[in-house]
Amino acid sequence: MLGTFWKEVRGTLSRVVKHPYFGFILLGVALLIVRRFAELGMVSPSLYKSISSMMIYSIIALGFSLLLGYAGLASLGTAGFVGLGTYFIGHFSGTLQKPFGITLLVALGGAIVLGAVVGFVSLRIEGMYLAIITLGLSEILKEVFKSFTAFTNGVTGLTFRNFMMFGKPVPDAAVDQAIILVFVLVIIATLNIINSPTGRALLAMKNSDSAAQSMGIGLMKYRLLAFVLATVYAVIAGLLYMADIKFSIPGTWSLDFSLNILAAVVVGGAQSILGILLGVFMIFGLNMTVLQNIPFFRQYPDATWILSGVLIILVTMFYPGGLIRLLQALRLKIILLVRNLRKRWRKYRYGEDD
Amino acid sequence: MAKMIERMLLRFRLSGLGRLRSQKNMIESYLPIREEIVRQRSARAIQWMEFLHEAKMAPLGNAAGRPTATVAAAREAKVQALRDRYRLKEKALAQTRKRAEAKGPLSPEAIAGFEESGRKLVESRDRRIAAILAPSRRSSLSEAEALRKFLEVETEQTEILARKKAALRAKEEKHLDAIRKRAARQIAHLDGKIAALRKMVLERHPAQTGDADLPENVLLRLQNLSMRFGGLLAVDNLSFDVKQGEIFGLIGPNGAGKTTIFNCITRFYRPTSGEMFYRRNAVEVIRLNDFPVHQIIRQGIVRTFQNVELVWELSVLDNLLVAAHTVYRSGFFAQLLHTPGLRREENVLKAKALGVLQTLGLSAYAYAFPYGLPYGILKKIELARTLMANPRLIILDEPAAGLNDKETEELAVLIRKIRDDYKCTIFLVEHDMGLVMDICDTVCAISFGRMLAIGTPAAIQADPLVRAAYLGEAS
Ligand SMILES: Nc1ncnc2c1ncn2[C@@H]1O[C@H](COP(=O)(O)OP(=O)(O)OP(=O)(O)O)[C@@H](O)[C@H]1O
Ligand SMILES: [Mg+2]
Repeated sequence: MLGTFWKEVRGTLSRVVKHPYFGFILLGVALLIVRRFAELGMVSPSLYKSISSMMIYSIIALGFSLLLGYAGLASLGTAGFVGLGTYFIGHFSGTLQKPFGITLLVALGGAIVLGAVVGFVSLRIEGMYLAIITLGLSEILKEVFKSFTAFTNGVTGLTFRNFMMFGKPVPDAAVDQAIILVFVLVIIATLNIINSPTGRALLAMKNSDSAAQSMGIGLMKYRLLAFVLATVYAVIAGLLYMADIKFSIPGTWSLDFSLNILAAVVVGGAQSILGILLGVFMIFGLNMTVLQNIPFFRQYPDATWILSGVLIILVTMFYPGGLIRLLQALRLKIILLVRNLRKRWRKYRYGEDD
Repeated sequence: MAKMIERMLLRFRLSGLGRLRSQKNMIESYLPIREEIVRQRSARAIQWMEFLHEAKMAPLGNAAGRPTATVAAAREAKVQALRDRYRLKEKALAQTRKRAEAKGPLSPEAIAGFEESGRKLVESRDRRIAAILAPSRRSSLSEAEALRKFLEVETEQTEILARKKAALRAKEEKHLDAIRKRAARQIAHLDGKIAALRKMVLERHPAQTGDADLPENVLLRLQNLSMRFGGLLAVDNLSFDVKQGEIFGLIGPNGAGKTTIFNCITRFYRPTSGEMFYRRNAVEVIRLNDFPVHQIIRQGIVRTFQNVELVWELSVLDNLLVAAHTVYRSGFFAQLLHTPGLRREENVLKAKALGVLQTLGLSAYAYAFPYGLPYGILKKIELARTLMANPRLIILDEPAAGLNDKETEELAVLIRKIRDDYKCTIFLVEHDMGLVMDICDTVCAISFGRMLAIGTPAAIQADPLVRAAYLGEAS
């Protein structure tokens, strides 16, 4: 009799738990709790800062994965776009003291235009050449950041104080919470895009241009869309970066940065959100949270790059689908192992051979 | 100038017509899904009612020594589980004994011990089963009184339950009725609009036939088509008609230019010269040369490729949804937010895709990933994909390549079935002469881009030129 009741409850619960958003919302809640702990001094502030940065890098990596993992387009211009985002907020919200809404509008507008331009270029040029062109664009942006001092304060870097909202400075705690919120929202948006006609169209385009076109998927529309999305993600991440770190210097926005994002996406698994979060942790987080506490790496900080290099080589050699594949394979192995052990136990204990 | 404006207007109106039709289609196909949702919801409500009824009756029944049906069933299940558990225990005992025996002959005490354990197991099982089945009376009332009360409450409650159920059913019926009426109203409204627009098109654009005078029954006309790759003339001044509703076969030796012709029709190649006309619907003939590649499917022309071109990262069902790309109406922001509208569309199209898969006997693969499936299945999935976008002309490039004889026979049946069920025209290239001669209504033979002969399969088989160039070579 109670069976009906529990079945009902269990059904609802499992539907909630199996919903693709569930895990990520849980992650957001956990992050909020960790943030609260950091505020109370139970988690070191520097550790929390690195968690914040990881979230921001994850947003960039998610945008990049739409480009690389879904649309199959290679770009090395990520750093430039993120840098642009930092300067947008630094200039409009910081130097000019404009309200945040205007900054956001300008930043999104800039991202869309820039993304559309690159997307347009991608119609003509593909593969490695596209990567080189976007790299060139990023380097141009870096030079612009260096020399266009009225906007960026040049090589000395632009410092940002709290920005104003409703006539009051926004406290750091609110910024931290906003980062978590945007992080979760971006993940949900990405999930929605992936599981919709647009995501499928991108994948179709990656598999074969001609098959995609014959199914009514216009290359122009979807290439542009992919680049605009990646750029918007990057610029949003730039805004968050500036609000969080409060300092932006052109040197940060160089090829290194773009390559690290690429590495994170490749190491983690270009088509899985969980994989990308994992990749960001491996490439950025491991260094910031774990390795820096090891004396050897504190003495030779650049050695961490050797480690990520080795990691990239190993992953691309043995798990071309990314670390997430390794985890999936491991999970399958464990399930099979448990099943096998159980079978052997039953055979021993009950003499069954099924 | 005036003619151009008129053609633009016509195209605008016809695309409006198409939109209205697809809206109507969506409403019609969503109706059964919606009805099912309502039915399931009320079924759950009834389940809850029964649950509450049971919750009220079960303690009374226990007190009266009259377990209700559910309680009895639950006890039965418990007993069954107990029996299963004891059977395992007995097996384990037997196994232990066997292992002991394997070491050497058992002493009488050991045998007695095993037998004693076996007896104990049976005893304890029977005791526990009896405990489960025994009426549990925790009531202060006497048995007769409890029984009287139980019967009284039961009649009353059963009546209430029946009344509630009837009310719920009535409500459900009303709800369903309202849904159906609303759909009917919307459809009637759309029908009115469609009829009006159609009438207007027919009046304003009498016999609007673009640039060519296509006879009523011709779907596709190639007119002096030529395609030159550098020094190679892959298609040489070719003209033929594909009639509505026929299965049209194009044959020719390797490198004859068959795929090139398909690529010209679907606009992957720009023909060096020549025109391609296509009857889009009863009143409009379009010049395919004017359309970009990705617009071709919107005109109702769908193609497959000579090699399998599926999206390997997506399930078979999702592959079919990719092919329905042009049917979706939701814009980017609806997709970003996963609005109910988009979800509804996905439901409708998923149902449609499952239907198509069932027609082709692929239901078992709906949620599988295409990677690693047998080649024959992949080819069928490609065929299924062409049916998702409401095609009028399906172009198949060597559908039987790589299939064995049995699969090819199945394919022949399938192609006919598709033509009849989906009321479309099929234009195929094929090397398998058996298949071509079996299913095609008209066959066109080409060699080095030039037409050899066109006609019925029998005529083509008898044609001396074809025999020399093609069949002779094959034999
Ligand atoms: N894009 C291209 N560029 C140059 N030549 C091409 C191109 N496409 C096709 N050709 C040439 O045109 C000729 C006809 O090719 P096509 O693919 O149409 O032949 P086919 O009849 O489909 O042959 P098969 O039976 O082998 O599929 C061939 O000689 C081929 O080399
Ligand atoms: Mg061919």
